[in-house]
Amino acid sequence: MKKVNKTVIFSMLLLIVLSGCWDNKDIDKRVLPLVIGIAKGDNHDYEVTVQIPITKSSGLMSRIVTSKAQTVSRALGEIQTNSENAVDYSQVRLVVIQRNLASNPKELKQLIKFLMTSKEIPLNAQLAFTNESTVKLLSNINNKLGVDATSLFDYFNKGVGWAPGISNTRIWEAYRSLYSYTDDLTIPVVDSGKDTVLIYKGAAALKKGRLTQTVNLDENQLINLFKNHNADGKIENVDFASVMVKRSTIRNQALIEGNTPTVTTDLKLKIDILEVHSGITNDQIKHKLEKLIEKRFYHVFNQSKKNETDLFGFGQYYRGQIPYADLKNWRTTYYPNLKVNFHAQVSSE
Amino acid sequence: MSRKWQIGFVFIIMYLSLNHLMYPKLIYGLTEAGHWEVVVCQGLLQITLIGIYIKGLSYFPQQDVIDIYSKMGKLVAFILLIPFALSLTALIGLDIRIHTEAINLFFLKRTPYWSVLVLLFFITTYTAMNGLSTILRSSTFIFFMILPLLLFIICSSFMNFDWHNVRPLWHPSLDFLLNKNFFHLMGYSAFLPLGFMTYKTKLTFGFIFLEWVFVMIIFLSFTYIPLLIFGEESVVTLSFPMMEAMNSVDIKWVMFNQQTIFLGLSLIGFTIIKNSVLLWIIGRIMQKVLKWKRAKASYWITASSVIAFILALIVPSRSWTETFFLWCSGVLVYFMMIIPISILIYGYVLNRGRVHYEES
Repeated sequence: MKKVNKTVIFSMLLLIVLSGCWDNKDIDKRVLPLVIGIAKGDNHDYEVTVQIPITKSSGLMSRIVTSKAQTVSRALGEIQTNSENAVDYSQVRLVVIQRNLASNPKELKQLIKFLMTSKEIPLNAQLAFTNESTVKLLSNINNKLGVDATSLFDYFNKGVGWAPGISNTRIWEAYRSLYSYTDDLTIPVVDSGKDTVLIYKGAAALKKGRLTQTVNLDENQLINLFKNHNADGKIENVDFASVMVKRSTIRNQALIEGNTPTVTTDLKLKIDILEVHSGITNDQIKHKLEKLIEKRFYHVFNQSKKNETDLFGFGQYYRGQIPYADLKNWRTTYYPNLKVNFHAQVSSE
Repeated sequence: MSRKWQIGFVFIIMYLSLNHLMYPKLIYGLTEAGHWEVVVCQGLLQITLIGIYIKGLSYFPQQDVIDIYSKMGKLVAFILLIPFALSLTALIGLDIRIHTEAINLFFLKRTPYWSVLVLLFFITTYTAMNGLSTILRSSTFIFFMILPLLLFIICSSFMNFDWHNVRPLWHPSLDFLLNKNFFHLMGYSAFLPLGFMTYKTKLTFGFIFLEWVFVMIIFLSFTYIPLLIFGEESVVTLSFPMMEAMNSVDIKWVMFNQQTIFLGLSLIGFTIIKNSVLLWIIGRIMQKVLKWKRAKASYWITASSVIAFILALIVPSRSWTETFFLWCSGVLVYFMMIIPISILIYGYVLNRGRVHYEES
């Protein structure tokens, strides 16, 4: 009897503690913004814009709320204060950064570090840059999509075969690239569109928080290939035909002699011919496509070499071959000497 | 489930609980390359001590560490075991505090930490007061509940791996062996409770070795998951690397969206088991060494739990918690060295004496 009492008392006490009811806010009392825009306002202020969905008796609506403060977290906090419901940032899927903030390396770095250490914004939210004002971009999203802003997330994750060239960068990846000795990445640049919600303007290369160059969709596709995404579903236009990539494989071999690293890359593409002018043989198409891709690769590669930005992540192959203490000089001493033998091999099904 | 296996589960749980949060960070602090070398060397050092411990205990069947030290003399038991109990009390307080902070950080963002502390201390003390058999039985349950979750998060983090980050694979020199922090790292081992739990069961070295191999595999994966995801250069800047690694995983099915919740759940289960074992040990030491007639073990458990709670409450900030926790585990290293070795020597001397006596 005594033992039973003890258990009962214990479980009653647990019931009080476990309910945790004093600070819990039910889901219907919360609003979950999906998109955040961050820009640099005047007077060194940050301008944070949030798209907040609101529930109304007539249905769902969303509105754009902007707040200015000296720090991003403060601005986010102010939005929470001024909103009538509890604003919960834990479901944010996209963070758009305006160009005037992104082009300042020191502040961009600080912002990425903040996003990484912030307890509220998830680490796997997407990052994107915009040339326009974030307020305008978000308003455009609001006008076109309303609450249905999840489709923005789908914009960057179209799935295999729909838009393999879009770069797709998350907060934690951007944070990683701030420190990495051997790898750089690209962040997509989007503007508001007239008919569609967004227009893809290519991607900006990020080297230790500094924007060095922009690459277009096709070039970014190549970068994605090197980072082990596939190119399936990509449509290529050769002058006299258009083809679709069915399958792609890439193989890299890295060697180093003295200070000259050499990478041999074999890209194999299997294509499907969609449209073709009369009198053109398959071999002509293949040959032309191989030349086109090789030219494209060398164009990006030479440019990125000039900028000392290792977009393709070639340095990653040398992590075991160059002593670790020396690896931090990869971009300055080794990368400018890097030779890449890039071969594209196209076969049709 | 036989008692031997239950003790095995407790052994694994205690090891994992200690190493969830701080262990990867300490490893990254020791070396820039070839992290597995540190993990393996650390493991070899520990398995040696475990071997010594088990050999020493085997001289004294049906007796636990307290009985053995009482045999050496009341003063020896007092000098060695009371400070041990005190440092365990501090360890419990700081450990629960550090886990509370992790829980707050990842899922109860707006809850004040004292309320989580109250809950954790309450359950821990209650479990400890119910005695060893309860702890062992619940450990089996928690082990089988949490292991699939752990395996799941390990497997799902594969999608963010960049295998190039594993390199450089070799660390040419073994200079980390002379680093003070290498021995400090041993504070994150939990083999001492074995000597307190085994008075009814005889443990074989082979069995514990099996458990140790399992623990080593988990350690290696805890070290390498954040490393493979973030790479050496950025992983050293993170505060809880394993947590951040889990947060980076993005699975679009609703409930898997936030992997850290799984890690957090295992964290709570493991912490409760570990700290209730420690509290139970404290109660046993106090009761048997001090032998105050009216004080039951449960009084001692409650008292030390309250002290640990107050300690956990007054630590001002996270950086202080981590510093104190490091000091505290550093103190425990001393006991991890002295207890196994002294028991082996005493057992050997005693046994030899007896053998000689019987022969003559």
